[in-house]
Amino acid sequence: MRNKIKASICIIIPLLLAFSLDTKFGDLPPLLKFLNPFTGFWQNAEKVSIRKTEKLKLKGTIETVDVEFDDRMIPHIFAKNDHDVYFAQGYITAMHRLWQMDFQTRYAAGRLSEVVGKKAIELDRYQRRMGMVYGAENSLKGMMGDPKSSAMLNAYTDGINAYIHSLSKAQYPLEYKLLDFSPEDWTPLKCALLLKQMSAVLAMGSTEFYMTNILKKFGPEITADLFPDYPFREDPIIPAGTKWNFKPLPIPQPPAMFSNMTTANISTKILEEGIGSNNWAISGAKTASGYPILANDPHLNLTLPSIWYQIQLHAPGLNAYGVSLPGAPGITIGFNEKIAWGVTNVAADVLDYYQIEFKDSSHQQYKYNNQWKNTSARLETIKIRGSRNEVDTVIYTHHGPVVYFRKPKKLAMADNVPTGNALRWIAHEKSNELMTFYYLNRGKNYEDYRKALTYYTAPAQNFVFASVNNDIAITANGKFPLKWKDQGKFILDGTDPKNDWQGWIPSDQNPTVKNPERNFVSSANQSSTDKSYPYYINWEFSPYERGKRINDKLKVMTKATADSIRIMQSDSYSIFAENLLPALIAKVDPAQLNATQKEALNLMGKWDKFYAANAVGASVFELWSKRLFYDIWDDEFTIAKIPMRYPSRDRTVELILKDPGSKWFDNVNTPAQENLKDLVNEAFKYTCDSLERKFGPIGTTWAWANVKQTHVPHLANIPGFGSKPLMIGGGKSTIDALSESNGPSWRMVIELGKTPKGHGVYPGGQSGNPGSPFYDNMINTWADGKLYDLYLMSSPDDKKDKIISHLTISK
Amino acid sequence: MIISFATCGLIGKTGKVSLWQPFFAIVLLWAAMALFKTLPNHNILATRVANMFGLHFWWWTLLISSLLGGFVAAISGYCGYHFRKAVLGKKNKV
Repeated sequence: MRNKIKASICIIIPLLLAFSLDTKFGDLPPLLKFLNPFTGFWQNAEKVSIRKTEKLKLKGTIETVDVEFDDRMIPHIFAKNDHDVYFAQGYITAMHRLWQMDFQTRYAAGRLSEVVGKKAIELDRYQRRMGMVYGAENSLKGMMGDPKSSAMLNAYTDGINAYIHSLSKAQYPLEYKLLDFSPEDWTPLKCALLLKQMSAVLAMGSTEFYMTNILKKFGPEITADLFPDYPFREDPIIPAGTKWNFKPLPIPQPPAMFSNMTTANISTKILEEGIGSNNWAISGAKTASGYPILANDPHLNLTLPSIWYQIQLHAPGLNAYGVSLPGAPGITIGFNEKIAWGVTNVAADVLDYYQIEFKDSSHQQYKYNNQWKNTSARLETIKIRGSRNEVDTVIYTHHGPVVYFRKPKKLAMADNVPTGNALRWIAHEKSNELMTFYYLNRGKNYEDYRKALTYYTAPAQNFVFASVNNDIAITANGKFPLKWKDQGKFILDGTDPKNDWQGWIPSDQNPTVKNPERNFVSSANQSSTDKSYPYYINWEFSPYERGKRINDKLKVMTKATADSIRIMQSDSYSIFAENLLPALIAKVDPAQLNATQKEALNLMGKWDKFYAANAVGASVFELWSKRLFYDIWDDEFTIAKIPMRYPSRDRTVELILKDPGSKWFDNVNTPAQENLKDLVNEAFKYTCDSLERKFGPIGTTWAWANVKQTHVPHLANIPGFGSKPLMIGGGKSTIDALSESNGPSWRMVIELGKTPKGHGVYPGGQSGNPGSPFYDNMINTWADGKLYDLYLMSSPDDKKDKIISHLTISK
Repeated sequence: MIISFATCGLIGKTGKVSLWQPFFAIVLLWAAMALFKTLPNHNILATRVANMFGLHFWWWTLLISSLLGGFVAAISGYCGYHFRKAVLGKKNKV
């Protein structure tokens, strides 16, 4: 008996040990598996020296494909047909970025619980209830409906799967080993999900709930005064005064004002400033070469692996270079021998909430046009690691899904959703954005550019264009709903058909300009047009300062070179500070300041208004203006249970400069009567005191870079896998719109000409593997504001000296 | 682990040997394999993983990996040996 017990103990102990060390507990990886040098993370340590030639046999290809990797591990794919070029793009992208592609699409599809267990359940429900999968399925119908895009999508998918199937467990990307899951087969739906996620990042912000609360609390007059439909200062994307050469459709009539809202307990996320971008193109008249130069820097959350993947695609009729989104075929931003193109976000009002009147609590019928209309139910099955599947029922109206009947308590991003409201969102539409990039990649001239844009739905972008024929153009492009003015500024009544989207703005009537007299076009997310444009796109856009600075610089620029444009992309001069700072300094009372505060005031007077890395003035101004805005608005606009938003930066500056006696400067929570001067002084002292508390006595530690702490974190925030803090300048309202971990995710400058010259960099590396020397190798060049030359090769033998590895894929 | 258990279960001479032999065998094997992978990588990944665990030097991951591997092998070997003893002991009694 004793021996029996002993024998069982001898079996149980190793089994227990094996189980405990090979199982994932909480955030801890399965340790033994992870640390095992034969299967674990050590296997992901890539050799620093690269093999010069490699050969692969892949059944999915039709003919032989040559892939040349240059000295930054950027693939240049040479294929003999369209199928092979997208197949190889899928294969090579997966080779470098498989985990990222998988993780991003699982995130989009609300499938993180499958990997990390119950803790992601609210996030998964949110993604599904917002209709991400529903929208992706609709998009997919559009993509599969066109033979070109479906062939592209299928070839790309097959390429990714060919790579996935070639992997042994030891070869899985590192993060699979950390999070303990396995790659699954890629599907075309995942490509659609990825594009939906871009819409979620760029076109999911909405303020109608705040605005509705503000309207209820302050009434229409104050609301209109503090939240005007056009900014006080603007420098629109399509130059003011541009004539519209079309006959507009009749604008729909608004219904009577709807104010019976039940929006208590609602708060919303405001589209964070910084998620924006710059692009511009200058005509040959302003350049040294006589050919146009085009520049683009999209501002997004900075992560490792980077959101972008550089690639050159070469096949008959196609030779394009640029950045692609891992998970989508083709090139998103780039150039070919004839044209160059880039994008910035439009921020159109393409997301609306409709208050729904249900017949009863079964939610089977709702009121519309004085009749009861049936809802439909969509069942979302959520797999949860270590638990039973959950089936979530989402009710759909003709507007779209009713996102919440009861809101989750612990999900900040769901704060934005009004309960019992249906969501109408452009990303739910059938669409086929892939064709836009298919045609841009192959584009030769302005006509090709215009044709490509007609295929695009969302997220709406300002597409900038330049060609070797010396044409430049910009178009605020996307599928824009035909709305009455301000439709969607507030929550809409879902029972009234007049509140529905009434069709679409014809795509050839989207705001556009070609070869304007000023010889340049530009955008920085500001208003698309002046007030003369006949249609409503949105009532509010990003503040004008970045765009204004770009236009100021381009206006005076002559004989421009790639270098002058590169320097401009890292320009950190603040128009916001130029407009506001003199008025603030004039109101500070030096007699009331202590020594530190006096020194800070002295520095402010000398500050050149550049958000340079070593500028103390930038730190003080940034915090000072933020505190001042808080002092002005917080007493009126922060009320428990009635979440609202502050008036815009533009309106606040206008108030400070033009109406210093305004009643809004009084703090309603104190018996005393405060004025602007009181607030300016309070905010200044508060700023200096808090900087001193955090960074010590005024000096180099107050430098802007040290206060800002820019860094590039890992996509899943795994410690040790992100970048170190980067001591660099730039600020949200400047061209170099760089905040803590958001900013220029790709900087590109293209000089068109007989042979185009491309320059570009993103803060990361081509490989998504933290064990690769190409994981973060471009960060320092990016941080220094420099660009690499981009090699648009004409054949596999071109620029041979830059090529470090050659891969041949044959059948 | 299974190998260590089985080997020591079959040929393990004494308890001590069954504990230390697999320990050193696996420590050596794992350390060698880890070095074979990490040295041509200039220890880029080992350093990142060390940072992830809050450690500063790459060789900490080498040390932890091989010691953990060795530890598990040792316990398995030891248990394998005693399992045989127990089973044989039982047989002797019968």
